[in-house]
Amino acid sequence: MWWKITSVVLLVYTIIAGFLVPLKSGIERVEPQAAQTGEQTTIRFFGYNTFFARPSDEPLRVWLYYNDQYALYAKTVRPLNDTILEATFSLPVNLPDGKPFVLLNALVDHPTAGASLLPAALTLRQADTLSAPLDPAWTQTPVEQLHVQKGFSFPYQNILYETIRNTYFHVPMWFVLLFLFAASVWYSVKYLRRPEPDLDRYAAAYAEVGILFGLLGLVSGMVWANYTWGRPWSNDIKQLMTAVALLVYMAYFILRGSFSDPEKSARLAAVYNIFAFASLIPLLYILPRMFDSLHPGATGNPAFGTQDLDNTMRAVFYPAIIGWTLLGFWIADLRTRYQRLHDRAMGVD
Amino acid sequence: MGRTILTFVLLMGISLPAALAEGNRDFMRETGKIYVVVATLLVIFLGIVGYLVRLERKLTRLEHQTKDDA
Repeated sequence: MWWKITSVVLLVYTIIAGFLVPLKSGIERVEPQAAQTGEQTTIRFFGYNTFFARPSDEPLRVWLYYNDQYALYAKTVRPLNDTILEATFSLPVNLPDGKPFVLLNALVDHPTAGASLLPAALTLRQADTLSAPLDPAWTQTPVEQLHVQKGFSFPYQNILYETIRNTYFHVPMWFVLLFLFAASVWYSVKYLRRPEPDLDRYAAAYAEVGILFGLLGLVSGMVWANYTWGRPWSNDIKQLMTAVALLVYMAYFILRGSFSDPEKSARLAAVYNIFAFASLIPLLYILPRMFDSLHPGATGNPAFGTQDLDNTMRAVFYPAIIGWTLLGFWIADLRTRYQRLHDRAMGVD
Repeated sequence: MGRTILTFVLLMGISLPAALAEGNRDFMRETGKIYVVVATLLVIFLGIVGYLVRLERKLTRLEHQTKDDA
């Protein structure tokens, strides 16, 4: 009973915190996105959840940042409102390392909201080749003493914006699937060692609810992908492999249904379950890391490495996993209890 | 026929300029795509509720059956 209450408490926390915690300030884009050396230019910075018009005692500082060594400091900074500011730059006459063009990152430092960076915001081209020593503007006002935001907030990511909160809803579906399928194969193995019908009921119920969460994960992922990847289905490796995994588990139920003798069907299904669970290793664990993908954990990187999750997100993500998993087990428990009653009523037990 | 064309023209006249004004600015993409998060949660919630409704129906059927037998 306690674990069911815990599930509800954790999920209420997840939903409330998941929705109410604000995002960090970020820079959505700049305009114009290209410039030439030697120009005097005014660039507009468009912010998301920013507070340009409300700095405190300290001023806003704006850079076009190349690297730790070279950065261009804005001559003037004028906020038009909370989310748009205009910065004027005297662009230098040449570029570092004699490059024909460089990509500069937009960096805005706000005294209370902290520093925000937009990578590759502006392309700066060399107008005429000038091999003179590097314009001192690059090193005049280095980036230093950036402010850190006070307060709890989730990371800002371009394109994702608020949908980063889906990390607490879409991603845990897969953790629940893994835990439920693991419980299912556990009971299948127990059944093979001691053919008690109740063990088989647990195995089937865990598999069924596992499929439910897998479908929920797939559909919720498609909703998310539609507005961030551009299409609900892009033959992404994780999308494909999880669809295959769900088909493998649906076959488990087709297998169960194809035998009239319940003991035989339970035994064969238990053996199939072991292979089904084993198939999850290449499908969900190995193959997705081998291919390029927009999902975290592609091309050789481990899923959910240190770069994928902020500490602020972890504070909601871990409770979310536990909450959703306990809910999954609760639903599977109900399903098992139904099956027990059904079997008893039908005289199968 | 004429009324259909008129309705169509009026609708296009209102919606088309609005659609062209901002490229991909539809409701779901407003305010930082927060409604995508709402939609995701709704999908999950309705999916779970749907499964529970299915289970509820099976239970009710079983209860009625056992009541009839008893």
